[in-house]
Amino acid sequence: MSIITISSDSYDVGREISEKTAEILNYKCIGREILGKVAEKYGIPELKLAKALDVSPSFPGMNRKLRDRYLAYIKTAVLNLLLENNTVCYGLAAHLYLSEVSHVLKVGIISNSKEPASQDSKVIESDASHYDLVINLGQIDRNKAVKIITDTVVDRKFKPITYSLNSMEDIEMESRVKAVLFEHFPDIKVCAKKGTVVVETKGFKFKKEKKCNSIKELAGKLPGVINMEVHVNSYIARD
Amino acid sequence: MAIITISRGSYSMGKEVAEKVAGRLGYECISREVLLEASEYFKIPEIKLLKAIHDAPSILNRISGGKQKYIVYILSAFADRITKNNVVYHGLAGHLLLADVAHALKVRIIANFDYRVGLVEKRDNILRNEASSILKKDDHERQNWTKSLYKVDSADSSLYDLVININKLTVDHAVDFICQAATYKELEATESSLHKVKDLALAYRIKSAFLKDGFDVSVTSDYGNVLLYTKGSDRSIQKLKKIAKSLDGKIKGMNNIEIHSGLPFPTNAV
Repeated sequence: MSIITISSDSYDVGREISEKTAEILNYKCIGREILGKVAEKYGIPELKLAKALDVSPSFPGMNRKLRDRYLAYIKTAVLNLLLENNTVCYGLAAHLYLSEVSHVLKVGIISNSKEPASQDSKVIESDASHYDLVINLGQIDRNKAVKIITDTVVDRKFKPITYSLNSMEDIEMESRVKAVLFEHFPDIKVCAKKGTVVVETKGFKFKKEKKCNSIKELAGKLPGVINMEVHVNSYIARD
Repeated sequence: MAIITISRGSYSMGKEVAEKVAGRLGYECISREVLLEASEYFKIPEIKLLKAIHDAPSILNRISGGKQKYIVYILSAFADRITKNNVVYHGLAGHLLLADVAHALKVRIIANFDYRVGLVEKRDNILRNEASSILKKDDHERQNWTKSLYKVDSADSSLYDLVININKLTVDHAVDFICQAATYKELEATESSLHKVKDLALAYRIKSAFLKDGFDVSVTSDYGNVLLYTKGSDRSIQKLKKIAKSLDGKIKGMNNIEIHSGLPFPTNAV
């Protein structure tokens, strides 16, 4: 009844280990094939979504705001699927936004492949603190890595509890609201708790009301949103 | 039949993991013992060795090679110890020394920074800020130490077979993973991997002997046949030959020693 996120420096190795793990545990397995649906929903080329997962923002490449928007769309789709639990999720950088959810086992796999370094591989190598466990396939073969993962996830520490399920729902709602608002208000901060959503943004005092209304109109009717507050910070210079 | 090295930050529970693993597998658990042995064998006060492994070498030290000499002595004592196999070592650089040894399982234990701060706070009865800056300084010192000597970042996960985060996972989980991995076929000692360890120990022993006489040389050993690499002049080569002759028959396992000058140093040389 848990979620496993698997990141690897090689997408194929990550997929193989995820599929085997999911098969043994009888879990669902999701990977980058979901990008097709996201691309269709938001009218963005699938390749660009994949690129947003693989490259860091740069001047000649993808700019930060665009990349953040694409990642917000991907995150929303992933979280929506992960609400169901019993899922292995790979290659979608889900460990980065599920760090506070206790029933998620975050695994990093180092395959020492010669594929060009992705964002995932850089994170695994430079900062293992994002993961519960990092396995290097140099000495430990793939089947044993799968066994380590399947043995670990059955531990009671990775069983969902009411608090962790609520956290998951809150994160999903935050992401959904953000995805709806991102195109028009890229600088927003969203916080959700049990159906109450607080949105913070910046803007001039004379536009405050208009901005509040359009945010409420765009996101207030989303499923699950019971209450919505919008704070427009007009002290832009101080911010 | 494996060697397990456990790299850890301070207050990351690595010591506890190492001791429990050694207890469960019936292996010998070593850390400070290596220092004591090096201190006894090379007649260096333990405190000097301790300082050498704790603080990164300063620029002056790098030029004079003072600390580096002590580190070689410690590594020599460590390499000697691991020839006996069935050892759990927790401390600095074990994983780097054994990077090419097939029957060595290299593990890193990490823990949440806040959790570690809490441990220091409680142990030393100090304020949280103070504990946090002590830990940050210590982490920085350890990272610098590895970087200055081995040109790698100790936090780089690719240097290890397993990195275990003691946060959601517990010490007992870590012990289970390591004990399970120690039984893997891939980690069984083979004749060639055992020889590699023996050669490594021999190379370090010889390097230490030359360092004692003031010569920093690079050494490789292959089944007891030792090759010594130097950039020195003809005069210093004569001195090296003299030292090499004096070592003949005194160092166990050494069959032959050759001195090479002007050749590029092999990457596996110590």
